[in-house]
Amino acid sequence: MISIKGVQKWFGRLHVLKGIDMNIAEGEVLVLIGASGSGKSTLLRCMNGLEKIQEGHISVDGLDIQASKTNLNKVRQEIGIVFQQFNLFPHMTVLKNITISPTKVKGISKSDAHITAEKLLERIGIPEKANVYPDQLSGGQQQRVAIARALAMNPKVMLFDEPTSALDPEMIKEVLDLMRELAKENMTMVVVTHEMGFAREVADRIAFMDDGVIVELGTPQQFFENPQHDRTRQFIHKVLQA
Amino acid sequence: MAKTHFRKAQEQRILKLTLRFILSASLITLVLWGFYSILEQNYIFRWGLALQHLDSFNKGLMLTLQASGLGLVLALSLGLIVALLRLSPFALFRDMGTLYVHSLRNIPFIVFVLFMYFGFARAVLPRPYPNITLLGWDIDDRLFWGALALGLFEASFMSEIFRSGIQSIHKTQIEASRSLGMSYAQSMRYVVLPQAFRVIIPPLTGEIIALIKESALLLAIAVNELTLTAKTISGQRPLQFEFYTILASYYLTMTVPISILSHYLEQRFNIHRRRS
Ligand SMILES: Nc1ncnc2c1ncn2[C@@H]1O[C@H](COP(=O)(O)OP(=O)(O)OP(=O)(O)O)[C@@H](O)[C@H]1O
Ligand SMILES: [Mg+2]
Repeated sequence: MISIKGVQKWFGRLHVLKGIDMNIAEGEVLVLIGASGSGKSTLLRCMNGLEKIQEGHISVDGLDIQASKTNLNKVRQEIGIVFQQFNLFPHMTVLKNITISPTKVKGISKSDAHITAEKLLERIGIPEKANVYPDQLSGGQQQRVAIARALAMNPKVMLFDEPTSALDPEMIKEVLDLMRELAKENMTMVVVTHEMGFAREVADRIAFMDDGVIVELGTPQQFFENPQHDRTRQFIHKVLQA
Repeated sequence: MAKTHFRKAQEQRILKLTLRFILSASLITLVLWGFYSILEQNYIFRWGLALQHLDSFNKGLMLTLQASGLGLVLALSLGLIVALLRLSPFALFRDMGTLYVHSLRNIPFIVFVLFMYFGFARAVLPRPYPNITLLGWDIDDRLFWGALALGLFEASFMSEIFRSGIQSIHKTQIEASRSLGMSYAQSMRYVVLPQAFRVIIPPLTGEIIALIKESALLLAIAVNELTLTAKTISGQRPLQFEFYTILASYYLTMTVPISILSHYLEQRFNIHRRRS
């Protein structure tokens, strides 16, 4: 579903991605972990073209993200992304947040979009919040709306960039539960997270990034119980102690 | 319950403000009256006579409104285009926008009007001037060039207001909308501009008021708007104090409601921008 080949990325003179190779299969959940500044967000943002890469290729569902003939707006309809800070549209109600793109971008009728949105709100457990504004929701609710907003486009892939890092502890679970459900439904997912429990339980594979390269890539079992590299071992040691 | 309480508090606030306004206005009048009675007087106020000229003022008002209206439409649309040029990823577009803004901002408006009407129009148009029609409306050529100058000039100020408003919207809002498949134009239209609008309201109304006030300078090219009207009739009858007081109150009647509307809009739109 996602193929990443020899990807290099610089921010000015800062070399951030130093040759990334990875394939993510349809229905797979890949969890991306690594220390702060190792390039996880950047890699994720390259996957939907929010960042340009200087070398290599990324293709999603067979479409090359970098190719100039690729219509990025079209590809992005297939790739949902959820950010750490939710990034809901503060001037729109929850319902409008969810329906704006299906109606304006995909040309779906308002009534159909409403039906879909209401189902999604039902699913994330806040059907009564359709007509409130984002700032009247808790963080956990906002993040679930952000997920619903992405799902409303009916994407083939969902990218998550630390979706629970900005949340109070008691709200983390509701968001992770929703992501668990998505994984069960065979959504292809790439998740950057520090939630080791989630990674161990939900991931098909875990990729460990350090300083712009993927150091280790394997099943959760391999990763936690039998890491091949020193850097991975140190990292696991650190996070399990914390 | 809470609502009626809120309304009551607001009514009291408005009442208080009105009383304060009346009090301060009367104090100022008293002081002026004091000066007036101290100074040796040979000016006789004839308000009744002056008010008989309201018809002329109203004609002038029509022209002021037409010039400001046309100028405003042009200033807003061109201003938005120039703002988008200045935010464009293409350096050439950015430079064009910058050049436009900086050349116009740095000359006095009256110089620009004189240039447009006496300079530019004469240099580029055959004489006698062709009649100018806009959507079936025959526009006097002085009004046309005056409004055009006003619009072009104010567009440079409006564009700066738009630009800072757009820039105040966090980049993550654009990223979120583009990630949902929106084009640049859709992201601007549905996500950025509506949010920028709230930020823009106060400086924008300030600039609209400035535009209306600037329209007075169209007297330089003999557009018979309010100010020129006042000037002309005070040359005919010795009622200058009255005429110019009336003139000032015409401008106040146009601009004060805009200020009030601005406050109102600002408060209405401010409700949902605490977080995110
Ligand atoms: N737009 C940018 N311009 C310049 N440098 C950037 C930019 N975005 C990220 N970087 C730099 O690139 C490096 C990788 O950043 P990235 O955000 O991908 O790390 P991360 O692994 O997501 O870290 P974190 O866990 O803190 O989110 C960092 O050194 C960061 O400072
Ligand atoms: Mg990050």
